[in-house]
Formats: sequence, C-alpha cells, structure tokens
Amino acid sequence: MSEKEIMQSSIDAILEGNEGKALATAREAVDMGADLVAVLNDGFSEGIRQVGNLFERGEKFLPELIEAAMIMEKVSAIINEAILKDSSVGATKIGTMVIATVEGDVHDIGKGIVISLIKTQGVNVIDLGRDVGTEAIIEGALEHEAGIIGTSALLTSTLNGQKKLEEELRIRGLRNRFKTIVGGAPVTQKFADKIGADAYAEDAAEAVVRVLELLGKSN
Amino acid sequence: MKKIFSRMGDGSALWLSEDELRQDLRTGTEDAADRGKIGPLSDDELERLFEICAAPQKVVSVEPGQEVVHSFDAGTLKFPLRGGVPVDRLGTVMAHERAFCSDTFEVGHSDYSFKPVKAIIAEERQSMEQIQLNATIPVYYGAMPNLGLYTKPDGPIDNWSELLPMGKVQEAREAQEEACEMAIQDIFFVAEAMHEAGSDGINFDTVGASGDADFLASLLAVEKLKKAIPEIHIEMGMAGEFVLGMHGGLKYNDTRLAGLYCHKQLELAEKAGVDIFGPVINTKSNKSVPWNIARSCTFVKACSEISKIPIHPNAGMGVGGVPVTSTAPVDAISRASVALIEIGKADGL
Repeated sequence: MSEKEIMQSSIDAILEGNEGKALATAREAVDMGADLVAVLNDGFSEGIRQVGNLFERGEKFLPELIEAAMIMEKVSAIINEAILKDSSVGATKIGTMVIATVEGDVHDIGKGIVISLIKTQGVNVIDLGRDVGTEAIIEGALEHEAGIIGTSALLTSTLNGQKKLEEELRIRGLRNRFKTIVGGAPVTQKFADKIGADAYAEDAAEAVVRVLELLGKSN
Repeated sequence: MKKIFSRMGDGSALWLSEDELRQDLRTGTEDAADRGKIGPLSDDELERLFEICAAPQKVVSVEPGQEVVHSFDAGTLKFPLRGGVPVDRLGTVMAHERAFCSDTFEVGHSDYSFKPVKAIIAEERQSMEQIQLNATIPVYYGAMPNLGLYTKPDGPIDNWSELLPMGKVQEAREAQEEACEMAIQDIFFVAEAMHEAGSDGINFDTVGASGDADFLASLLAVEKLKKAIPEIHIEMGMAGEFVLGMHGGLKYNDTRLAGLYCHKQLELAEKAGVDIFGPVINTKSNKSVPWNIARSCTFVKACSEISKIPIHPNAGMGVGGVPVTSTAPVDAISRASVALIEIGKADGL
C-alpha cells in the first residue's frame, strides 16, 4: 500500500470496526517506514472522530463505538512501540485530564463516551465518577497532576456545579493551573463563557477536538 | 432594522432579524431532513412558521375549532413534586380537570417506573379507584420501563454502563437482553393490575431512555398486553428522537431498533398495538427556538403523514422545540404548540 492507501485503510478499518484490517494496516505502516505520527493522527484517529460523528447522528451505536475505541488502543500500542524504538522522546501521553459528572447528577453515559474517544487520542483520562462534589474534583485534579478538568451536567438543576467549580478554583488560586471544559445537554457556549470555562463541547466528537486544542495539539 | 424577540434553546432571550429568523427555520428543517432521511418543510410551511415565530403577541394560539386534545406524562408529579404545591394526587387530578380544563390526565407514582410499583400495587390500585370515582376525564396510569433499574446496584443484573467502558460488549448485550425479559413481566403485571383497577389507559413514558432494549421491552409488553386484554388503551411516549443503540443488535419484527428516528419508531409502535404515539424531538440548547421548532415540525409531519393512530408529540421542557428550562416560557411553548399542530399536523400534544 502507498502512504495514501495506508491512511484510507486506517480510517476504513476503524469505521468498519475491523480489528484484523486495522492491525494489519498498522503493521504495514511500521514495516514500510511510514510517518507513524501522521498515520495515528490523520488515519486511525480520524476514523475515531468519524465514528463519533456517526454515533452522534444515531448511525453508529454504543457497542460499535466501544469496539472502535478498543481497536484504537491495540493499534496505538503497535504504533507507539515502533515510535519508541525510533525516537528518544518516546510515545508518552500528551496530557492528563480528570473528568466527572458534577454533584447531584448521576448521568454518565455521555461522559463514558467522551472518555473512550479522548483516550484514543493519547490523553491520560482519569474518570472521577458521577455525582462528584467540587472539592473532590479539585482534589482529584491535584492528585493526578491533571492539565484539564472536564465536567458534565445533564440537568438544568446541576449546571450550578460547573459554575461552583470555576468559582472554587479562583478562590483557591488554582484557576490558572488547570484548563476547564464543560459539556452536557443544557450546557451552551454562552453558559461556558458566562462561568469562565476555557472550552465547551456539544458532543463527544467535539470534546476530542476541544481537548486537543487545550493541550495545544490540534491539527 | 426591526428585530424579532425569540429565544435560544436554553431559554435565554434572543433578537433576530427577519432574514436570520428565516435562515434558522430553513436550517432547522434541513437538519431534520438530513438526519431522519425525510422531506423538509415546504416554502409555504416555512412561511407560516415565520408568521407564528414572528407574531408580536407574547402568547399565540390556534384558531377556534383547531384545538387538539392533551395527554400528559409525569402528570401527578409536576404539581406536588416539581412545583412544590402541597396537594395529593387526587387533588392534582381534580385541579387539572376542574380548573385547567385538561382533556385527560395521568397518575403516576413518585418513582415513576414499572419495577418499583410492583411492590405497592395494592396502594396504587386503591388510589386509581378513588381518582376514577371522582374524575370525569379519562385518567391514565403511567410509568417508565426504565431498564436501568434492573442493573446493579438497583437490580440483579450486571450494569451495562459499567461493562461497556471495560470493553465487555458481549456481556453488556446479554445483560440488556436479560433486563428486557424482566421488564416485560413487570410492565405486564402493573399494567394489567391498573387496568383492572379502572385506569382508562396505560402510558408508557420515556420509552427508550435506556436504549434499544428499553424500546424492545416496551414493544413486547404492549404486544403481550394487547393479546391478553384487547380493549386496553396504551399511549407510548418516547425518550428521544432516535433510539440509542446501547445494545445495537436488537430487532422487532426484523427491524433493527438502534438508530430509528421518530417515524420509524411509530411504525413499530403501531405494529405492537399502541393506540397513541408520542414522538420526542430533542431541543438543542445552543440553537434558537425557531430552529428547534422547524426541526420538530419536520419530524412530526413525517410521523403524521404515515400514522394510522393519533400522534401526540411531546411539547415540554427540552423537547418539541421548547427550551431546556425548569419552567417553559409561555412565548416559546405556545409557538411550539401551534406549530406542531398546524405544520406537524399533530392530533394532540
């Protein structure tokens, strides 16, 4: 395969949920000395982003999303191992993020999807769980030395948890230490701006893009 | 330039120019048409929607004679629980019948799911009987299939929301299939008992909230109920505009349930024996109310065009073009209601 075909095959394999094809494509990319970072970012990761978009439209389903994320993990392992051999830098995680559903809110299906997709991009994502108080979120972020704090709220009545986090970070003089991203059904860009969050994502696919931007890793 | 008062889907105020309003209506219907693979609204329909959205009055309405009936979900929960009004369920029903002129009403337990009602069925039957002795309007008994209640820690089945992130896809699918079987038994038990207690109908609310297995359990329970009690009246209100594929492989009458949009959900509900179908179109909080109304009308119209049973689209907090706010603004909910009736051709709300 040419590098262009490798790229297309990477995207297709993830979209089809074809593990055999994905692993074979990754190995061929390694063997032929392709630009592995590009194969990972513009090939396989692009496939994951497209799966996320199709999921959001109801054209792909949760098990398929999970399977795609699992294939992505295996592919990343092959490519990262090859990059490690050739590079003194190595395939380290590009950043750490903690994520939680705010206090009073037990919804976590969306959060789980966001975690699965962001992990595929090489981000170390720590799930703090659901119904998590502001204090516990901040302690979690400090403990894991996170660069990003992500919060989700599905109810209009729990939106205040995201505002409270911003306020508490300011009070404790920690606001500049973390980037914050908010999401959830009632959350809007306007609300994110109002409370002072660094980013807002409407869905899981957009969350990936925004997190990479916050880490300064966007294409 | 003249600006028209409107709102965003999160309820915040918004002022649009005529061009911006027309543009929002057009892109709203196009989004529905694209996602649902259905036809967009016509130019005439968009023009009528423009008139409804741009009307200077705070509250708009249909012309006399064009009114439609109302059915409810979470009926007896809204006054005492959400509104904080200290009144019991009988008082809530009476207030709706005699003060608000409701056409029908729905009684539900505060847990509002079929599974927990099983244990208190005798008390629920007694309440229903007393309400029926006082009310003239048809009173339904309603609850949610709520498959999540069958999973640990609330139930005996492994939790698929925990299994899926661990990559245990097969185990998650089997857990959903098991929960589906349990839910069918519980729904049948409660619905049959409440029917015998005098309920005028059974309302299946928020169907599909736990995904495609939730929808399948509801369809199979309706089928079973209709076979056992042909005269039982069933309304089915959905949880979302498309069925979330938590399982992804479940089928009813050879149709895969995951990803089905409103008009396809309706076809299966009809086959199962549902008497009134309530499509749900989710409001996007970061788009304008006119955008959301045009989108909702497009989906509802697609249902009305093929339905053999009455369509009662959900028009309330966060659905049917109504903003995602704790209390729906009257300007927005009246516009959404008129639009769903006139353009969506809804039989009720």
